[in-house]
Amino acid sequence: MKARMFKNTMIVAAVAVVLTVPAFWTVARADEVPAFSLAWSEYPSWSAFGVAHEFGFINGREGEMGPIEKKWGVDIVLKEADYDTCLVMYGSGKCDAVCITNMDALIPSLTRKSVGILPTSTSFGADACIVVGDITDIKQLRGKKVYGLAKTVSEYCFVRNVEILGEKESDYRFTNMDPAAAALAMQQKRDGFDAIVVWNPFVLETLNKRKDARVLFDSTSIPGEIIDMVVMTQESLDKPGGEKFAWAVIDAFYTINREMAKPETRDETLIALGEKFSNLNLDSMRKVVKQTRFYATPDEGVTVLGREATAGIMEKVVAFCVSHEIVPEAPAVGFGSREEAEEAAFRLDPTYIKGFVAKSK
Amino acid sequence: MIRQPISTRLAILLGILSVVALLMGYTLLSYVQHLDNPDDTTIPTWSQLGEGVQRLLEANPRTGERWLLLDAEATATRLFLGLFYGIVGAIILGLLMGCYAPVEALLVPPLSLLAKIPPTAALAVFFVLVGTDTEMYVAMIAFGVLPSLAQSVYLAVHDVPREMLYKAYTLGASQMELIWNIIVRAVYPRLIDSVRLQIGPAMVYLIAAEMVLGDVGFGYRIRLQMRLLNMNVVYPYLAILAVFGFGMDYCLRLLQRVTCPWFIRHGR
Repeated sequence: MKARMFKNTMIVAAVAVVLTVPAFWTVARADEVPAFSLAWSEYPSWSAFGVAHEFGFINGREGEMGPIEKKWGVDIVLKEADYDTCLVMYGSGKCDAVCITNMDALIPSLTRKSVGILPTSTSFGADACIVVGDITDIKQLRGKKVYGLAKTVSEYCFVRNVEILGEKESDYRFTNMDPAAAALAMQQKRDGFDAIVVWNPFVLETLNKRKDARVLFDSTSIPGEIIDMVVMTQESLDKPGGEKFAWAVIDAFYTINREMAKPETRDETLIALGEKFSNLNLDSMRKVVKQTRFYATPDEGVTVLGREATAGIMEKVVAFCVSHEIVPEAPAVGFGSREEAEEAAFRLDPTYIKGFVAKSK
Repeated sequence: MIRQPISTRLAILLGILSVVALLMGYTLLSYVQHLDNPDDTTIPTWSQLGEGVQRLLEANPRTGERWLLLDAEATATRLFLGLFYGIVGAIILGLLMGCYAPVEALLVPPLSLLAKIPPTAALAVFFVLVGTDTEMYVAMIAFGVLPSLAQSVYLAVHDVPREMLYKAYTLGASQMELIWNIIVRAVYPRLIDSVRLQIGPAMVYLIAAEMVLGDVGFGYRIRLQMRLLNMNVVYPYLAILAVFGFGMDYCLRLLQRVTCPWFIRHGR
C-alpha cells in the first residue's frame, strides 16, 4: 500500500515538474527577449510578413526566432486572420501592431493612440469599378446598384471617382456586398450585377473570366490616397523593446522587397506572395504588384509618412470617414515623432524607418 | 440524491442568480478593460451600451432609417419564409418516408448525407445556384433544416405503435384517414420539439449568409459595426437575437402544452 502511494506521489511530482519547468523557462526567456505581435491578413504587401516567415528570415511562432529577430533582439509573433478580425484584434488590444489601410486605421485610433510606422504599398489600379454590357459612362450607373463592401476603401474609391468626374454621390446606389460574392455574381452574369467595385484579386479574376467586363475607373485616379501600412499602438511602442520590434518589422518588409528586386529570387517570391492570396498565375501576380505599388525602399517609406506628401490625403480620408459615419468624430492626425505630434490620435511617423536605416549601417 | 426535485421558488431564484452573475461578470470584464484603456469600445460600459441602443433605435440623421426596424424586417422575413418551406417540406418527406418503404429506401440515404453538410460551409453553392436575393436566404434555411427535420419526422412515424395502426385498419380507416388521424397526431408534438431544435441552426445559417451577402439585416449590421469597432451596437443586436430565439422556443413549448397536453402529461 505504502509502495503504491509512494509511486503515485512520484508520478504526480514528475508531472508537476514537467508542467512547471517550461513555464519558468518561458518566463525567464520572456525577460530576455520581449515579444510583440503583428496581426496580418492576406494581401500582396502584407503577405510579405508571411513570406518572411516561410523563407526563414523571421519566425512568426512565439518563442522561436529567425535571424532578423535575433539581430534586433525581439520576438515577432505573427497572427494571421481575415482583415476584419485583424481590425477587431487590434482595436481590443489583442495585438501590438496590425496591417491596415490608412482609412481603417482611423477607427481604432479613436480609442488607442496609433502610429503608422511603415507604409507597405498603395493601390494603383488594385481597386476598380468593373462594368459590363454597354456601360461606358459613369452617368449610366445612375439608379443602378453598384456592389462592393460598404464603408471600406471600395466605397472610398467609388465616391472619390464620382466626385472627380463631377457627379453627385446621392445619384448613385452603392450597395453592400462582400467583394468575393460581388465578383462571383458578375462572373456568373447574374441579373442586376452590371457594376461592382472590388479589389484584387477579384479585379483581375473578373476581367480574366468575363470577356465583356472592363474597368470604368480605378484607383489610379486617386494615386497615393489608399495606403496599406503597418500601424502600431503608442502603448506598445513605449514598452521596452517596442522600438526594436518596429525596426525588426521594417527590416523583414524591406528584406522581402530586396528578394523581389533580385532577378534570381523574384519569381519565387511573387509565387509565395500570391499563394494564398489568389489563384492567379505568375503573370497575373506580376500585374498585381504593379497595381499594388510597393513602397520598396526606406526612402519611399519616409516620404509617404511625411507631412508634405500625405497631409492633404489624410484630410480627404478623414472627411470621407466622418461624412460616411465610419468614425463618429474626426481623429486628430499628426506627422512626425511623438514629441512633434503629442496630441495626435493617429500619427504617421517616419522616425522608425530612419532609425532602422541608421542602425543598419 | 441525484435528480432530487427543488421547489419552484428556489429554481426561479437560482435562475435569476445565474443571470445576475452573468451581468456582474460582464461589468467586471468591462471595468478591467477600461482600466487598461479608458476609451475602449470593444467591451463597452453600460452607458456606452445605452448609447448603442439609442443609436439603433433612433432615425439615422443622414438616411432617416431606423436600423433596428429595417434589419428586423429583413431578417425576420428571411427566417420565417425559410423555416416555413423547410418545415413543410420536412413534414411531407418525413411522412412519406415513414409510411412507404420505397420512398424510405429512395430518400433516407441522400437525406442522411445532406444532413451532415453544414449549410454555412455550402454558402457559396447556394449563392451560385440561387443568387443573392431573398430566395437565397430562404433556400439556405429551408435546405439547412429540412434533412434533419425530415429524419426526425420519419423516426417519429416509425415510433407510432403498430397496435394503433392495426386498430384503425380494423375500424375501417382508409390510408389517408390513418395518416391524418393517427400518424400526424402522434408525430405532431415531436415535430414541435424538432422545430425548436432547428431554430438555433436556422439563425446561424441566416446570420452567416447576411454577413457575406446582405445589405440589410442583423448579420450585415453586426459585421459592419464590428469592423467599425462599434461593439455597443453589436452586443444589443446579439441580445435581441438571444431574446428572439428564447421567445420562439417558449412559444413553441406553449403551443405544445396547449395543443397536446397528453404528450406533456405522459411524456415529460
